[in-house]
Amino acid sequence: MSKVADYQIPRSALGWMLLSVLLVMLPQSLHMPFWVTFLTLVCIAWRWLIFTGVAAYPGRLLRIAIVVFTMTLSVSQMRSSGIGLDSAASLLALGFVFKLIEMRHKRDVYVVISLCFIMAMVNFLYSQSVVATIYTAIVIIVITCAMLALNRSHLHPVGRGNLRLATVMALQALPLTIVLFVMFPRIAPLWAVPMQNSSGTTGVSDEMTPGDLAQLGRSSELAFRVQFEDSLAPLHQDLYWRGLVLEDFDGQTWRRTRRGSSYSEAASLNDFRWNWEDRVRLGSQALRYNVIIEPSNQPWLYGLHLAQPLNRELYQSRNFEIFNNGVISKRSSYDLISYRGSATDLILLDSARRRTTNLPGRGNEQSVAFAERLRAGVQSDRDYVYAVLAHFQQNEFYYTLNPALLGEQRVDDFLFNTRQGFCEHYASSFAFLMRAVGIPARVVVGYQGAEYNPYEDYMMVYQYNAHAWNEVWLEGEGWVRFDPTAAVSPERIEQGVEAALADDPAFREQSLFSAARLGSLGWVNALRLRLDAIEYEWNRRVVNYDEDVQSDFLANVLGDVTDQKVLFVLIALAFVATGAIALTVISSEPRSRRSVADSLYYQFGKELDKISLGRQRGETPLRYRDRVCAAKPELAQLVTEATRCYMELNYHTGVRKQDSAGQESTTYGSNTDSLAEFRKVLTQLRFKLLPFGRLRREA
Amino acid sequence: MFSLNLDKRSDDRAELVDNQFSRQVQTAVDEISRALLGKDHQIRLALCCLFSGGHLLVEDLPGMGKTTLSYALAKALGLEYNRIQFTSDLLPADILGISIYDQANAQFTFHPGPIFNQVVLADEINRTTPKTQSALLEAMEERQVTVEGQTRKLPEPFFVIATQNPANLAGTYPLPESQLDRFLMRLRLGYPDQRAERELLEMDTEWDKVENVKQCLGKEEVIGFRRESANVNASGPLLDYVQRLIAFTRSNDEFHFGLSPRGSLALMRAAKTWALMCGRNHVIPEDVQTILPAVVEHRLRAVSDNDGHTGASIVQRMLNEVDILQ
Repeated sequence: MSKVADYQIPRSALGWMLLSVLLVMLPQSLHMPFWVTFLTLVCIAWRWLIFTGVAAYPGRLLRIAIVVFTMTLSVSQMRSSGIGLDSAASLLALGFVFKLIEMRHKRDVYVVISLCFIMAMVNFLYSQSVVATIYTAIVIIVITCAMLALNRSHLHPVGRGNLRLATVMALQALPLTIVLFVMFPRIAPLWAVPMQNSSGTTGVSDEMTPGDLAQLGRSSELAFRVQFEDSLAPLHQDLYWRGLVLEDFDGQTWRRTRRGSSYSEAASLNDFRWNWEDRVRLGSQALRYNVIIEPSNQPWLYGLHLAQPLNRELYQSRNFEIFNNGVISKRSSYDLISYRGSATDLILLDSARRRTTNLPGRGNEQSVAFAERLRAGVQSDRDYVYAVLAHFQQNEFYYTLNPALLGEQRVDDFLFNTRQGFCEHYASSFAFLMRAVGIPARVVVGYQGAEYNPYEDYMMVYQYNAHAWNEVWLEGEGWVRFDPTAAVSPERIEQGVEAALADDPAFREQSLFSAARLGSLGWVNALRLRLDAIEYEWNRRVVNYDEDVQSDFLANVLGDVTDQKVLFVLIALAFVATGAIALTVISSEPRSRRSVADSLYYQFGKELDKISLGRQRGETPLRYRDRVCAAKPELAQLVTEATRCYMELNYHTGVRKQDSAGQESTTYGSNTDSLAEFRKVLTQLRFKLLPFGRLRREA
Repeated sequence: MFSLNLDKRSDDRAELVDNQFSRQVQTAVDEISRALLGKDHQIRLALCCLFSGGHLLVEDLPGMGKTTLSYALAKALGLEYNRIQFTSDLLPADILGISIYDQANAQFTFHPGPIFNQVVLADEINRTTPKTQSALLEAMEERQVTVEGQTRKLPEPFFVIATQNPANLAGTYPLPESQLDRFLMRLRLGYPDQRAERELLEMDTEWDKVENVKQCLGKEEVIGFRRESANVNASGPLLDYVQRLIAFTRSNDEFHFGLSPRGSLALMRAAKTWALMCGRNHVIPEDVQTILPAVVEHRLRAVSDNDGHTGASIVQRMLNEVDILQ
């Protein structure tokens, strides 16, 4: 058996390499099963032991066993959690870390380094935040270090320069990265791993049972960010981010009326594309704004009533809800125009009236009786609405995240017994009281309020801003928004949920790092807003730079975008980049640091070059003067003067004096005077040679 | 008295300043050129070498006037001189001297060899064996001689003017680089030009001409030149230029090896003396360029040159390539 001597990887290279493996695997260990992390550490340790000579490379049998083990594990993981990002990434990670202990030859080392780069990119599948990007950049520098250390020859042994050089190299790659990011066509993948299939849905759901929103109220996760264009944002109490309209009530749960079997199918139905202007009286104030929504794994979106989507993939439902074509599985951006003060459905169709006044046949009799009694006491539907709101306000109702449990007759129990509730209790019972006397009413879920970020001028809406309110149909006014929670706890609407629930222990313990908690610490809050602002800008400008934005941008820059044009620009940029690099390389040679006198003399030679009397390398000033004087006697005086100035400046043609005591001292012509004179002579020479310069240029 | 007057249209020697030093040099050159016709520049270089306190190597074919130059130099400077004809059977003792038993005093008496002179003319130095060569060359470097355990100082000033035939002639032992390096300058005389040769032919025998050379400078003047040249100013830009020249020999692939620090010191020393001989108290690039071939040619060797001693073409390239400006 012929045995090739094993390649001995340099110590520093191995060190850098294991470090990069560790750094690459670190963020992924958050998403991967524990045993993958464990195997990573084992393999790193093993490789180091191989290097130190304590352990041996794995034998053939062990390697086969490892392959079988990996495949079995991966298959079993795919069976349990499906083929998705997690299982694919852990398969890749396993192969990657096992390659480490098999790394015998230089070729293997290069394979591992390439894999390191790929694994660093895999991290982006999980997170594309600023922090993740900076982290990946650092990881790339470390991997480059490993490459550098690997290629250090004996002449350039281990140096501290590795890190610096790697950073410089990474910085050099930056312009190319930017160009490719901006220009390179976003090609749809031929195949795709289903992304993040394991994460659940978040945000407001299309069913509302009292208690649901209270759960959300405890979450300080971000729901979406909003930026208003060229107009002032509405006041806090007007920030009703309308999500879904729930019309069906079965005594416990409010549900959205589903017409198709799923939302995406409904999108394809033609009757969703009705001409909505017919049912709308538009308000005068139009607000344009952009929303960046966090992944919710649900198709509905949020906006201020009455919102008209500006993106193609969005559509509106009958009830002016906004839907995305498909669930929001990644952070997405959309633009809306809201017409505030709009009225909808001035004429209510019979079918809609039936739907929005429907109550289960039995149950909550006490409430029904209360409603009928109250309705009898007032003149109009509107008065009745105010009477109900006044009832909430004047009686002992409490706004809390931790309401008491409700019995079978939920509305009765809430209205007459517990009287403690979160917004959904009020919205639910309010709608019930409306419907009980035949007034069309429905529940709207969404978010209310926002936190303003002054650094980038946008608003942040958190999950704890989740809210439910009502819309009541009034004759001649259409659907009008009423918020019973505002009657119970006005500060919830005016100042936000943080203010309303500041004393509520359930809210405080969940939102440890939220504004409510840290708002009192000025600088912490400022820092939090600042970081969020950076993240927001990053999402807006970088993460959201998709195919559409790219084509818009390129259209702005290049006019009509064709593939040829993009290709042409790419090639041109490649040329420019190569040229720039070449220039840098050329100019990075030690540049001559000419003194003033030298550069003046250099210009002097350049001037005379116009009449083909340029200075030659290695020609001494005196010989040069002689040559020029012989060729152009009329310039003799100027040239002699310039040469004299130059020699005086450079070689200190000083005058040696002997004073009375016999001491010798050398005095040099004061430099500034000589320089001034030199400049003067040079100007005269320029003037004299002006015609020659012009002649040459014309030629 | 030292400054250049460029307005004076002296066509070929603009760097020359008329003062006591340049006049002394001119006198000496005139005197020596009575013996060696048409070789003013070589005579000047030879003077420069001696004024710098360095040893001189004159290399050329036989019959070109090497010995004449040496004799004339010694005579014009009024120094005691002795000539050693190097042959292949010459021994170190023949140069350094020997102790001989004196029967009258019943003890050994040292009989100094010809080296104990202010000027030693080492004729055809490469015709003797390395053993004898090294005896001379040691004396050149140390300026003292150790014979039979006793160290004796050589007179002051002490110059060696060696002549040699080109290395590729028959019956020569080429000097190794280490010993060549000890000569400040190496001169080649070359054939006389037409006018000088005509004059030569019209005159009498060669020997008479050396007889005609009269002493025009003394020991004090020679030492005075040496002392004064130390005060010659070499400015920063000029030193930069010299350093670029030296760096060129070390970095360029055409050179077998670069110039040694001893070589660069010699360059600067000779340049300063040359500046003084031109009557200036500061070195200008012309000085460096003038003395450069004589000072460095024998210290350098082109890569393509296998038998050595022909640095002339690459030194010329060096002068052309290295810019005065940075």
